[in-house]
Amino acid sequence: MNTDNLCSSVFIRGYKTMRAIPTLKISISGVRGVVGQSLTPKLLTRFAQAFGTHTGPGTIVIGRDPRTSGEMVKHAVVAGILSTGNRVIDIGVCPVPTVQLQVRHRRAQGGIAITASHNPAEWNALKFIGSSGLFLDAAQARELLDIYHQGEYTKVGGAELRTVEVIAGATDLHIKSILDALGPLPQTNKKLRVVLDSCNGAGSLVGPKLIEALGAEVIPINVTPDGSFPRPAEPLAENLGDLCRAVREHQADAGFAQDMDADRLAIVSNEGEAIGEDNTLVLAMLYVLGREKGPVVANLSTTSAVEDVAKRFGCPMFLTKIGEVNVTDAMQLHNAVIGGEGNGGVIYPRINFARDSLVGIALVLHLLAESGKSVTELLESVPRYHIVKDKMPCPSDRITTVLRMVREQFAEFPMDTRDGVKVITKDGWFLVRGSNTEPIIRIVAEAKSEERAREIIDRVYSKVNFDRG
Amino acid sequence: MKPLKIGITGVRGIVGETFTPELAVEFAESFGTYLDRGRILVCRDTRPSGPMIRSAVLAGLLAAGCEVVDLGVCPTPSMQLAVKWLKADGGIAITAGHNPWQWNALKFVRADGLYLNSTQGEELLDIFHQGEFAKAGWDTIKQGVQTADPIPEHIKILHESFAAEAIRAKGLTVAVDCCNGACSFLSPKWLEQLGCEVLAVNDNPSAPFPHAPEPKPETMAQLCAVVKAGRAAIGFAHDADGERLGIVTDLGEPLSEEMTLAIAADIRLRKKTGKVVTNVSTSSAIDIIAARHGGSVVRTPVGQAYISEGLIEHKGVLGGEGSGGITVPEVHLTHDSAAAIGLILEYLAETGERISELVVQLPRLTTLKHNVVVEPHRLYSVLQEFRATVEQEGLEIDSTDGIKATLPGGWVHVRASNTESMIRIIVEAQEKSAAQELLDWTRDRIRK
Repeated sequence: MNTDNLCSSVFIRGYKTMRAIPTLKISISGVRGVVGQSLTPKLLTRFAQAFGTHTGPGTIVIGRDPRTSGEMVKHAVVAGILSTGNRVIDIGVCPVPTVQLQVRHRRAQGGIAITASHNPAEWNALKFIGSSGLFLDAAQARELLDIYHQGEYTKVGGAELRTVEVIAGATDLHIKSILDALGPLPQTNKKLRVVLDSCNGAGSLVGPKLIEALGAEVIPINVTPDGSFPRPAEPLAENLGDLCRAVREHQADAGFAQDMDADRLAIVSNEGEAIGEDNTLVLAMLYVLGREKGPVVANLSTTSAVEDVAKRFGCPMFLTKIGEVNVTDAMQLHNAVIGGEGNGGVIYPRINFARDSLVGIALVLHLLAESGKSVTELLESVPRYHIVKDKMPCPSDRITTVLRMVREQFAEFPMDTRDGVKVITKDGWFLVRGSNTEPIIRIVAEAKSEERAREIIDRVYSKVNFDRG
Repeated sequence: MKPLKIGITGVRGIVGETFTPELAVEFAESFGTYLDRGRILVCRDTRPSGPMIRSAVLAGLLAAGCEVVDLGVCPTPSMQLAVKWLKADGGIAITAGHNPWQWNALKFVRADGLYLNSTQGEELLDIFHQGEFAKAGWDTIKQGVQTADPIPEHIKILHESFAAEAIRAKGLTVAVDCCNGACSFLSPKWLEQLGCEVLAVNDNPSAPFPHAPEPKPETMAQLCAVVKAGRAAIGFAHDADGERLGIVTDLGEPLSEEMTLAIAADIRLRKKTGKVVTNVSTSSAIDIIAARHGGSVVRTPVGQAYISEGLIEHKGVLGGEGSGGITVPEVHLTHDSAAAIGLILEYLAETGERISELVVQLPRLTTLKHNVVVEPHRLYSVLQEFRATVEQEGLEIDSTDGIKATLPGGWVHVRASNTESMIRIIVEAQEKSAAQELLDWTRDRIRK
């Protein structure tokens, strides 16, 4: 990365604005930074000390994705945790949901997942997990940040110091939990054949094992967890060319794409087309709600198809603010049977209150086997929507004004203002939201057709002035 | 004031108080920066804070772009030898040597297996204080830590350096107290290979230190009992990381740590006369012994790095300090308690003499040691004031390290500790009463 670009200026219609391209982001979702720049071992050690201080003495589970900096980050974290008197269980390279599962399984005080999920290779991050196996909620995360900034950490010496236990096979427990909850695939005439693209990430080793254990045939691609990125880590349709080709070439029933930390899942249809990560949750719901009725939770940026499916099964649907922990909190509150996010995150509480691509794979394979239908056929039974995502430069001091203008201009429509402004239009919806990381506003619109979704966005642009003045 | 000492010999403090993981991380980054990355070995002794400090050191070295080889728990000299045969660029030993178990420290070793000298130590400190460290990016950072076991090679080198066959032929019974430290992995194994009947105590590296890891008569009661009960030819006491050695005679008598160098020098100079390199604070017995064998003594400041440099400069035949640290140049130019064991056992085997018979021939002077704890900001002014007082009295002063003054009947040496905020006083005289007078004389002249 070129350090000259760390801080540059952009001109927005004549106004010079500092746009720091951050190499470090400390927030309630954890600490995230660029290795070799701001993400130093001292910072990581101090964060781990703050976390160990926050949890109090006990056991902390640590797992990581296969990024090149993973070992350095791990040792920095281990040192910090040990210094607070906690024991460390190191479960090695594994998916984030595996760490979450281990925290509950071992009744640990907490966990730290070392992963920058879909960020590029030079990034890494710490994500903090509480004793429930859930990520810290906003209040807990604020407490952690306060401890970090205050800099007064629990320090123990001598006989109070604990050691590190290195555990192999944490992913086997994960596979077993999934098989215990869902069972192997029902026997059919033809064994399902799927292609798995793990992006050389944390799912590389466990993904193929799970699919075989379920009783399907797997053709793995990008399953060398060596820290290299064969494609951008986010499982967006435009990044899945290799997977689509492999599905067609092998005449597979489906293709599965994971991100680097294996929490998100995207699906490629039997025709070799990326169906859009929004539809991962839709397919998972078809299976789960077909077996048990109950509330469903998603965030308010998720496709309306989830609401349609919930309605079809007669299940209540709840939409939350964006952020995994908001979804999991609401799932616990409403006793949901399934939940997730439009970005390919499926949360199935019978296994784990966590976005879990392995669970997503298992649910979708069960759906395919049980229904005997193809991915394409299954999607035909569900209303199809098109989501268009756009962004606009917007100085951070301008965001509240823009959101107010949206509320005024679209006052006649039903709206949800818990997280930005979501407006329900006649044939779709749009969401306007300030970014947490860049001086931009994000706009997401959904409608029955892509063209219509674009029209919605254009209408927002025509009614709301994003510039100063 | 809580104890923390950052100096040219590294960083040392109490874990849980002053010696924090971020301090260890930053010193490791400094060292990685100082060596311009490269291949670095890491080892530790058996203190409970070892795993925590180890992780901090590995993180710092990796972040600086180093290739790291973790040797696990082993004596520091095993690592120092391994730096050479593993062709590393340096090493970090995580050990507070003879300090109590709550302490830990980092000691820095360069590519020739010796500690950084004082100039290099200062350069490292400058980097630490500047806080600008080398940082490896995602595309150059090392993805893992290698491991290696340095002990078999250490034993092999020891075997080649001493008359192993002669020792084996003798079938000596040897007691050894490893203090549950790093030597638990080395000494019993080596002694067995030498054909000794080994009576090992406190050789469980996962158990806590059974006593202070400082080989002194006060800590050797158990070893004395073992020597007597097992009718051993000799008893050896290790510190936590294999640098200092204490000796119990075949009669079960624990010897002062000052006697270790006296014995080693006597043995060495009988076979090969030459220069013995020791520090200014070590007993004058060494001068008497050297004179008997036609050898001579070179005095350096206190600290292993000075002994190593003195040995190189003067082509010394033996190095050592009154603390019980012995350097046998054939093995390597740094303190190694296992090398001292080899030297002594070789003598016992070749001559058939008993250690108690050797000891009675050695001059016995009375050495008294006393520490005065001083506020850190007063440490050096107290020394200066002592110097001024002594000079006013018209005494000759040797200022190689601290202040050494020769008085009628003996000498006094006053210096600042390298590792703690205290002034160390050592006095020596023929008789105990005279030594006590010298100590009182010195204490009267030190004003906190």
